[in-house]
Amino acid sequence: MNYRFVVDPSLCTGCRTCELACAFSHSKNLKPGKSRIYPLSHAKDKYVPVTCLQCNDAACVKSCFFDALKRNEETGAIELNLGRCVKCRACVAACPFGCALIDDIHDEIVKCDLCKGDPACAHFCPTKALRYTRLPI
Amino acid sequence: MVTIYINGKAVQAKEDEMVLTAIRREGINIPTLCNHDAIEPCGACRLCMVEITKKDWNGWKKHVTSCLYPVEPELMVSTHTPQVLELRRTILELYLARNPNSSVIQKLAEEHGITSTPYEIIPDGDNCIMCYACTRICDALGCHAISAVERGHEKVIAGPLNQPPIDCIGCLSCAHICPTNFIEWKDSDGRRSIWGREFELLTCKTCGKKTITRDFAEYLSKNRDLPMSYFETCDDCKRLDTAKTMGRLVVMAAEVAK
Repeated sequence: MNYRFVVDPSLCTGCRTCELACAFSHSKNLKPGKSRIYPLSHAKDKYVPVTCLQCNDAACVKSCFFDALKRNEETGAIELNLGRCVKCRACVAACPFGCALIDDIHDEIVKCDLCKGDPACAHFCPTKALRYTRLPI
Repeated sequence: MVTIYINGKAVQAKEDEMVLTAIRREGINIPTLCNHDAIEPCGACRLCMVEITKKDWNGWKKHVTSCLYPVEPELMVSTHTPQVLELRRTILELYLARNPNSSVIQKLAEEHGITSTPYEIIPDGDNCIMCYACTRICDALGCHAISAVERGHEKVIAGPLNQPPIDCIGCLSCAHICPTNFIEWKDSDGRRSIWGREFELLTCKTCGKKTITRDFAEYLSKNRDLPMSYFETCDDCKRLDTAKTMGRLVVMAAEVAK
């Protein structure tokens, strides 16, 4: 866990490139998946890219009865094991930040997994509002 | 680690693993209906049958459900021998007789080259294959709301005494895990009906979107130490709230920096 996903809303222009990058990098059966990141406007021309905060004491992990959500100690991301998920939507209802999502097209629950340690959105963000940086140790 | 042989190929497997897990990891496709990672295997659907043997068994072979058979050193597993395929076809023919209207069974049978069954068909047969996936997931959840009731050919999955289950919380885990989509449920007018019971769906206080049932939210808050306030708004509104809060923090940080 030497890396952190850094979101700097002051640099975000709301271009939504991150959404496209996320949806296409998570495509399945030639269909783009649901984006795990949402640049939402909270005031005129002011955007905040909202994505999973990978909380330490995460409500989604607590709410899952089947241990489908587990932290990947290497990347620090809470990953969803779809094989164990029964789509009860407890995590979607429990997340206080609304970052566990329902993908209606593929009929599954999705959440940000930091692309297994190489987030596509950070690669594509033109203003570098999203970064994946090494922590100073 | 243990070395087993799957179709003649040496494969490393963990000691407490079942044969099916090792087979699946090798990318070999074996049909299953009752198997799910979230619940313990119980070998109910019988479709994961494989043939096993060992060097010191002097040519003796045995057919076992791979989901329940733990790996042993030097175990030789064959997944697609003519006998195993014949076994699987017979099981599917029995399913076709019991569940003639199930599209999942029909599709699986077609994949194995079966279109008709020599057994007597139950014309009004439902889609339930008695795999107990629903009762096992309910037990894993800690609710124990549904189980098998009655005996013999009258056996059905239902609440205690074949009445609407009082312990059900309307989470739909059983409906989603059911391999043949037998369990019926409906959401309408802010109410959810399943197993003959009605549940109130929570309404988002900002946008009015329906989320999970009140019983499920209360169950989560009681057993998993989550405040009920987490369940008051829907995920879309919570996300917007997060954006607003973070936006405020950015403005405050900028003012402090000045």
